[in-house]
Amino acid sequence: MTQLQARGLVKSYGPTPALRGVTLDVAEGEIVAVTGPSGCGKSTLLHCLAGILRPDAGEVSWHGHRIDTWSEAARSRLRRTEFGVLFQFGQLVAELTAAENVALPLLLAGTGRRAARTAALTWLDRFGVAQLADVRPGEMSGGQQQRCATARALVTEPRVLFADEPTGALDTLTGEQVLTQLVRLAREQRTTVVLITHEPRIAAYADREIVLRDGVIDHTGLGLDAAPLAGGPR
Amino acid sequence: MSTPHVLLGLLASGTKHGYELKRAHDERLPQARPLAYGQVYATLGRLLRDGLVTPAGQERLAGPDRTAYALTEEGRTALDRWLGTVEPPMPHVNSTLFAKVVVALLAADVDRARAYLIAQRRAHTDRLRELTALKTAPSATIDDVVAADYAIAHLDADLRWLHTTLDRVADWHREVHP
Amino acid sequence: MRPGTFIRLALVGNRTDAARLALTALSAALAALAVLAALSVLAIQTPPGDPGQHSEQYTNALLREPGLRGGTAFAILLLTIPVLALAGQCARLGAPARDRRLAAFRLAGATPGQVTRVAVLETGLASLLGTVAGLATYLVGRALVHRPDVNGQLALPTDVLPTVPELALVVLALPLVAAAVTALMLRRVTATPLGVVRRARRAGRPRPWPALLIALGVLGAALFEPIRQASGDGLEAWVFGSVFVGAFAAVLGVILGVGWLSHWTGRLLHRYAGSPARLLAARRLTEDPWAGSRTFAALLAALAIGAGAAAFRAGFELREQLEREQNRRAGYDDFSNGQNAFYLRTMDLVDLAVGVAVVIAVAGLLVMLIEGITARRRAYAALVAGGVPRATLGVSILWQVLAPVVPAVLLALGAGYTLGRMLNPDIVTGGDWEPVCRATAELCADPANRDSHIEMVLVDGVVHSPGVPLEQLALLGAGAVAATLLTAGLGVLFLRSSTAVEELRAT
Repeated sequence: MTQLQARGLVKSYGPTPALRGVTLDVAEGEIVAVTGPSGCGKSTLLHCLAGILRPDAGEVSWHGHRIDTWSEAARSRLRRTEFGVLFQFGQLVAELTAAENVALPLLLAGTGRRAARTAALTWLDRFGVAQLADVRPGEMSGGQQQRCATARALVTEPRVLFADEPTGALDTLTGEQVLTQLVRLAREQRTTVVLITHEPRIAAYADREIVLRDGVIDHTGLGLDAAPLAGGPR
Repeated sequence: MSTPHVLLGLLASGTKHGYELKRAHDERLPQARPLAYGQVYATLGRLLRDGLVTPAGQERLAGPDRTAYALTEEGRTALDRWLGTVEPPMPHVNSTLFAKVVVALLAADVDRARAYLIAQRRAHTDRLRELTALKTAPSATIDDVVAADYAIAHLDADLRWLHTTLDRVADWHREVHP
Repeated sequence: MRPGTFIRLALVGNRTDAARLALTALSAALAALAVLAALSVLAIQTPPGDPGQHSEQYTNALLREPGLRGGTAFAILLLTIPVLALAGQCARLGAPARDRRLAAFRLAGATPGQVTRVAVLETGLASLLGTVAGLATYLVGRALVHRPDVNGQLALPTDVLPTVPELALVVLALPLVAAAVTALMLRRVTATPLGVVRRARRAGRPRPWPALLIALGVLGAALFEPIRQASGDGLEAWVFGSVFVGAFAAVLGVILGVGWLSHWTGRLLHRYAGSPARLLAARRLTEDPWAGSRTFAALLAALAIGAGAAAFRAGFELREQLEREQNRRAGYDDFSNGQNAFYLRTMDLVDLAVGVAVVIAVAGLLVMLIEGITARRRAYAALVAGGVPRATLGVSILWQVLAPVVPAVLLALGAGYTLGRMLNPDIVTGGDWEPVCRATAELCADPANRDSHIEMVLVDGVVHSPGVPLEQLALLGAGAVAATLLTAGLGVLFLRSSTAVEELRAT
């Protein structure tokens, strides 16, 4: 079932076009990798799909409802309740401990402090960093920070996780450990993942790969977006 | 690959007969080409001749004799020497993949080379995804992961080269046929 | 490196650097002006003869009477405290960006000494520019204001000039002090070329030791009156000096005490933090309690001075009231004492100066606040992308600013008022023979007959305490909190641009 749908997305930054008509369907529980060279519009596509940016033209739909026309407040609420976002680095609040960072989305949703902390500890434990619960981001390694950020992105058990180069700042092994755990948990919870990367080996974690080139999907080069689902959503 | 040394290595943990050696080999090196029985016995014969292994008793179990082999002192030395020797890093680029692209550019036209590169990239990507799924499966053992990692790293390198070459060929094509 | 290279490297930088340099120069100019004004007052010559001889060339009693000139100079010097606090605050403006720039110089191969010299040169040159501008303003202003009135009297001491060594000292000493402070603050940065220092060790939890500084200041002020009574009228300069140092210590104590207050309010807020906004605010307060000290330094200094001035005003008002009463009893009903009215007018001037200082301090506060927001823009942008409403972040910033500022303002007002009150002790009237007019008001009003109705009466001693100027203190406090609130509101407006999705781009 199609969960997230983009129709003819166009977005420019001043005179520079970032997206020039992208059409894309993402099924529920699917893991989609978006790849392509630097500056092809990968991040912009993710921001439009997640409702962070409004496209200049085209539509973004969530379960058949157009969300690009919604107000910022409504899209904020959607992101808070249904989506999780994960970036390359620097997304944790420096003053909060790991557990507080992870608990933050739950607190925003109105969960009580104790329950939020318990959930945060569970998620930190799933990423193997429970011992860092009361440590602040400045005192962690990059890999530990990214594990906490991933735990924060998943703590609300979102329907879709948007990840923009989540392992870009990590070494191969650490990146792989974070990604393996992320993909395993996403499959368990049937969370859809939109994964942006420029590395073939990271894209290989997805069920499907979409190649962007100069703001459009590159059908001619690879046709990989039509490739069979190896493993597929289970 | 050096089959004799691999067999020596497998014997280092204790005596084994030919069939056990084959099974241990295929288990430990899951992504490598499986060993044929004939190759196991031929190799064992050579190791025996060179005094690197020695027969360590027989067992007869309703069938042919099964000779178990053990590592000799010389065998252990040979194994240590092999483990201590650094492999020359890529002394010759002799991949068929590489040769085929060069020949395609030489003998056929650019479109042909491109079509081949695209098809090859697709095949590589599929294999990469298969191996990744294998590796991330909850049942994967450390041997599976290490073997898959090795293959993934090489496929990844090939893929990067394919990407770059495809872009280069496209550029070159534009220059030749504007 | 050649001197030209040094100067060029010292002057490259972004708009924040330019703003810091401009503010540094401005505060140096203001401080220089204040010190020059104080020196001019001290430069007035007492006419030969009696040491209490008035200098009749001035309209203003503060300048005319030698006994008052010391106090006048002292009051002007007190006004330099908020200015110096502002200068210290300006030095931190854009500091992270500058630290990174200096670290880049280090990576490019500059020695620690060279980098320190670049930074020191930057601050020193800006301050020098400021003090020179201050001197120029002083000299030009002096010439412009030098207009004797019909009686040939002057409003300001424009006929005297501090000595040349004194002028040189003002122009050169301030930049030197600023440069030395910069060198001191850069010790940590220049040690590492990698700039971004990962903070592995948490800053120590603030202790309430600054209270001792406040106590020291209050003690110094409390001793002033006994010393004055013991030594009669001729007060030594060192007494004023030590009271000034005491006041400085008290203001410093208030500023440093904000660190402890921030930490304490942060912990309290954290304990009762139900909402994410309060949690964020509480953690920022406990994590960097000294941010409050840096941000509110000038504001609190101005408030402390303002509260002290309010105490002085209350003292003068009491004195005026008592004198009027005494005169009324003595029958001099129409007698109005110009002396105290004059003091009160002077206090209006001081209040105006405090108001100006508050405005300057609030401007500095705004810049610091925006600085803090932009420094965290990546984390904020990530939170907004994750669906955290900007309003939540805005509320957290308001909490973070207001939670410590309310107790800090109370502390500053309390310390300043206590200090001022100590310098304006209770007034004892009576205990002595006083003339009382025993007749109707009509008869007493007639100067010809009055003396025949006068009777000397022994009046009991009565202790009069100056009233607590609650209204003025409340006005100061409410004004400061309102200005802070307004500033925080303006700062929150910057959240929108600081949380733009562009901040999240991976590369």
